[in-house]
Amino acid sequence: MAIERKRKTRLADYGLQSERLLWPTKGPIAKGPGVFEREVESLEDALGLSTLAKAVAWAQTKSMWPDTFGLACCAIEMMSIVSSRYDIARFGMEAFRSSPRQADLLIVSGRVVHKMAAPLRQVYDQMLEPKWVIAMGACASSGGMFNNYTVLQGVDKIVPVDIHVPGCPPRPEALIEGIIRLHEKVQAGVPPAYDIRGVAS
Amino acid sequence: MAIAPERPRIYEGTRIPAPTPSVLEVPEELRDSDDILQVNFGPNHPSTHGVLRLVVDLSGEEVVGLRAVIGYLHTGFEKNMEQKTWWKGITYPERIDYVSFQTNELVFVLAIEKLLALEVPEKATWMRMLLCELNRIHSHLVWLATAALEIGAISMFWYCFRERDQILDLSEMVCGARMHTRYFQAGGLAEDIPSGFFPECRKFVERMPKAVDDYEGLVDRNQIWLGRTVGIGLLSAEDAIAMGQSGPVLRGSGVDWDLRKQQPYLAYDEVDFGVPLRQGGDVYDRYRVRMEEMRESTRIVDQCLDRLDEMEGRPWIADDRKVVLPPREELHTSMESLIHHFKIVTEGYRVPEGEVYVVVESPRGELGCYVVSDGGPKPWRVKFRAPSFAATAAAPTLSRGALVADLIAIIGSLDGLMGEVDR
Amino acid sequence: METKDAYGETTLVVEAEQLAEACRHLRDEQGFDFLSDISATDYLGWATKGVSGYIGTTSGRDLNAPSTQGLGRLPQLRPPRRFSVSYHLLALRAGAERVRVQVWLDDGESVPSVVSLWPTADWHEREAWDLMGIRFDGHPNLVRILMDDDWEGHPLRKDYPIGGEPVRFSSAE
Repeated sequence: MAIERKRKTRLADYGLQSERLLWPTKGPIAKGPGVFEREVESLEDALGLSTLAKAVAWAQTKSMWPDTFGLACCAIEMMSIVSSRYDIARFGMEAFRSSPRQADLLIVSGRVVHKMAAPLRQVYDQMLEPKWVIAMGACASSGGMFNNYTVLQGVDKIVPVDIHVPGCPPRPEALIEGIIRLHEKVQAGVPPAYDIRGVAS
Repeated sequence: MAIAPERPRIYEGTRIPAPTPSVLEVPEELRDSDDILQVNFGPNHPSTHGVLRLVVDLSGEEVVGLRAVIGYLHTGFEKNMEQKTWWKGITYPERIDYVSFQTNELVFVLAIEKLLALEVPEKATWMRMLLCELNRIHSHLVWLATAALEIGAISMFWYCFRERDQILDLSEMVCGARMHTRYFQAGGLAEDIPSGFFPECRKFVERMPKAVDDYEGLVDRNQIWLGRTVGIGLLSAEDAIAMGQSGPVLRGSGVDWDLRKQQPYLAYDEVDFGVPLRQGGDVYDRYRVRMEEMRESTRIVDQCLDRLDEMEGRPWIADDRKVVLPPREELHTSMESLIHHFKIVTEGYRVPEGEVYVVVESPRGELGCYVVSDGGPKPWRVKFRAPSFAATAAAPTLSRGALVADLIAIIGSLDGLMGEVDR
Repeated sequence: METKDAYGETTLVVEAEQLAEACRHLRDEQGFDFLSDISATDYLGWATKGVSGYIGTTSGRDLNAPSTQGLGRLPQLRPPRRFSVSYHLLALRAGAERVRVQVWLDDGESVPSVVSLWPTADWHEREAWDLMGIRFDGHPNLVRILMDDDWEGHPLRKDYPIGGEPVRFSSAE
């Protein structure tokens, strides 16, 4: 009953132009999902659910509402993607939700310090799945220029991140590029980061 | 006996909470009743201008207790700057007050130049003034956009960000980056002003007053705006001075104090501009002060452009080779220049021993930088006095008898920026 | 009490016991009604880094760590104690006079609080306590303000490490 198929371990397998590994190829996780998951996957394939999955992914992409999580300087550039020049309403994303329960996308824009780590995780936990995280800017991706006692060296220490956008601060176009890449990932069927990396990587 | 001019009495006595000035305590008679609801305006809130946490005690809609919790953006700037040389350290202050970034660079660079006793060429001084005034307009635009958004005038956001993007275009034209330009150097500017900047800046200067007219047309006589801002968040002059307020908050309460006039730095004594002053001490007055400041800043930018037009081809940075990099052409011919360049880039220039406290008028008020140098290539101690620090501490003073919705307007009018508050 | 004048700024150095009286005098009689800033500085390790190899000393610079160039010459200031707390005052009148009142103290000693004179000192003193560990007697609410409530240590002290992570380069692995 279980149809063996090649595990997709690279983003390139999903049709995206990237050499990055999505799933480790060594170690216990590389053995792949368990028997139950494999059977469910094969069932989905047999029933042709993949078209439905594509439609759902399209819908998710076209109205992915971000959460208002602006922390520091990157927040100002994040606000400017809402402004009329870099209009993010054309992607259906101008509705920045204040409540994480209504948001799909968490754009962590700015340096996350130790005191803010708990609220960040709490906000992330309150979001409903599927949810994606963009680490905007150098500080959210890796701690930026602040390698010290208080700044988290990368927000992916506490939340799983889908896209890192470099820059200090990234131009609004750079952030929109990151968002578009996220959309491409989602449409290609790449699962959100919490499925790949475990809930907190 | 302080020699103070006559100031209007906005309210009798003082509204500063006691014993702790920064904590409004629930009054005795209400403390045991069941009607007090403690609400947490958490660090992640759309209306608190960044990561500010307010613990509010509510009796119905009225705020009876207020306490601000900060520290959710404490980045450790001051400790980081002690690890980097003076030159590399200039990158850090920009991110403190991230909306008027040029002003922070300016205050740190002025402190270094004061210790070095370095003469800055005229062109650099005027260009610095121009960029700082553009930053002032930028900061007020972002303030207006977000404060109006929080009060409910959502469309102001798009109008203000239209001009704000034009200012950042100018910034990008000069320095290569929209924000956090790192254009000021100890001794002047990092690079010469590119050609093509002045005509674009002139176009902006012509557009800006009409844009301010647009904003005023939207909200100034709007009954809802007036209802939400007039008479809210009163602050008397004595309380403002006692709580360390400066900038538009102080000028909105009737105290005629602007460091650009009283303690002129750069070339502010050579330009003609006015300082708006209002007597009411409420949210509306602070809004009016900032709107007028935008107009005055545009006038200053205009005058700076006139002066800079005459200075084509002049040096943009001081000549002291121990501090300033030599021009690249010289590196091919002069051995000394090569050595200087190498020393400055690897080890950094040394700043003489001493301590200075330099203050500038940032869009939020008095921004100070206290620098202690031990004569070495790295600062011993750098401390930034942030105007928003004092402003956020004064939030309970302004919120006496306020309703919840007024609290949002009050916090907005104080224009606190959490990057500055927490550093 | 001594007065120093440098770089156009006046510094009054007072003892901790005299601080309250001096501040009250400055505020009421001299008109310094605006407290701009309270800065605490830790002088642990001042003038011990060694002088650069040009002048010649025992501990010069570490060639393997750039930007550890020592001082050109040893600094003139001999800090009497470990910490200095500087109060920057401003008089809001024509002339914009500024003065700095400086107190020196050792670890464990405390300074009287000036909250009763300038209420804005509340948060400044809390920050000095939080980041430098300087106690202010008479402060109504001396708790941590910038760091977490249960943080241990005072980060801006010179014996507190900068923290952070060592930077790893992927080619090195």
